[in-house]
Amino acid sequence: MGGVSNVSNLVRFFALLILQVFVFRQVRLGWGGADYIFIFIAPLFIALLPLRTPRPLVVIVAFLFGIGMDAFYGTLGVHAAAATFAGYSRQFVLAYLEPRDGYKVKASPDGKDLSLGWWIKYIGFLVGFYTVFYFSMEEFSPLFWKQIMLKSLFTIPLSWLICSIIVTFFRPRI
Amino acid sequence: MEQILRVFYNNGSFFTFIGLQLLCLYLIINFNSTQSDIAAETWSVRTGSVKDGLSYFQDYLDLREQNEVQRREIARLKGLLPEARYNTAAELDSLTDDTFLQRYNFLSVNIVNRSPYNPNNNLVIDRGSTFNVQQGQGVVSNDGLIGIVDVSGNSHARVISILHRATRISAGLRNNAFGTMLWDGLDPRRMTVTDIPDYVTVNAGDTIFTTGFSNVFPTAQVIGYVETTAIQPGTGSQNLTVLLANDPLTTTSAYVVQDLFKEELSVLKPDN
Repeated sequence: MGGVSNVSNLVRFFALLILQVFVFRQVRLGWGGADYIFIFIAPLFIALLPLRTPRPLVVIVAFLFGIGMDAFYGTLGVHAAAATFAGYSRQFVLAYLEPRDGYKVKASPDGKDLSLGWWIKYIGFLVGFYTVFYFSMEEFSPLFWKQIMLKSLFTIPLSWLICSIIVTFFRPRI
Repeated sequence: MEQILRVFYNNGSFFTFIGLQLLCLYLIINFNSTQSDIAAETWSVRTGSVKDGLSYFQDYLDLREQNEVQRREIARLKGLLPEARYNTAAELDSLTDDTFLQRYNFLSVNIVNRSPYNPNNNLVIDRGSTFNVQQGQGVVSNDGLIGIVDVSGNSHARVISILHRATRISAGLRNNAFGTMLWDGLDPRRMTVTDIPDYVTVNAGDTIFTTGFSNVFPTAQVIGYVETTAIQPGTGSQNLTVLLANDPLTTTSAYVVQDLFKEELSVLKPDN
């Protein structure tokens, strides 16, 4: 599950999808009749795609993962939109977080080659993009900016924490 | 072509992203009730404002046409106003007395137009031949004389004012001396009575009446009051300057005098 091969990516796809839809989907915390806290690990899948994956392919695979989530969440298109957005923004996050001597592109960098701090920042960006876009699509109108902001504020830290814990355990190669 | 392909190749992730986002939007709107409601609402609001703008622009384009439409409508509505109507209700006032036969009918009229003030004044009244207004009938006001009908149309008639240099009115005093009244075209408040014999004593303030000889005006209508007298040497007559009892230039309501005996009297007219 920690490799860069197609098979390990495929395994990761289904493993994270199952984890997401059967475990973390149950987490809905809130008050006053509205849920504000959710856990998304879809950004983690996007983050863990191999570094050398062609960018359009990242977007497409992210979209597929999102569609897979939607199939279980019953929100056709919403997660897919968020995942597509996160997949597209991944290249900019990577460029922004690029170490001084660059990624070791030839040999896929081992997860341990990159510091834990780098990983947490990387995951944080993707979780942030994913979550904000997801709630924007869920509310579907700038009029609900308050709900979008509140839900994002409560959801991002927890999702970030969960994703970071998973990454800390696996330290996969990308 | 190659460059276009290169653009697509270099920005492949961008176009993939856009395409998939559009697909997602389509899915969201079509398979999620809340979002589709919001989308429909937003759509109607946006298209509404776009249509507002469009119609505003189009209104601007056919302003000229709209102006024409408005003008026609205004013309139609003005035609509905009471002022635009011609009152066909006859306001005939006549005495009914067994002792007296009716000689004069008085037809109430309004003066609806008048010429600018000049030595030969005309005016138009709102009654015509429909009401038997005919040429030669007199027009009087409550206080004095107005003029004589000149041309009669169906519903209106033109009146030669007494303030006209062609006016000749038979006017007399209480002592039965009489002469011809005319206007010199100078002072709209004063007229002149000529051909009063110079032996008749006339005092300032004497009243001048119509004589009724001309069948135009009824007998003994007050015309005005003598102001000065001037004996004309060598003619045996004197001229009287008469201050008119009314102001023919500002009067708006008057009566057309219809002499019911006019035909009979015109046959019996004495020779000059």
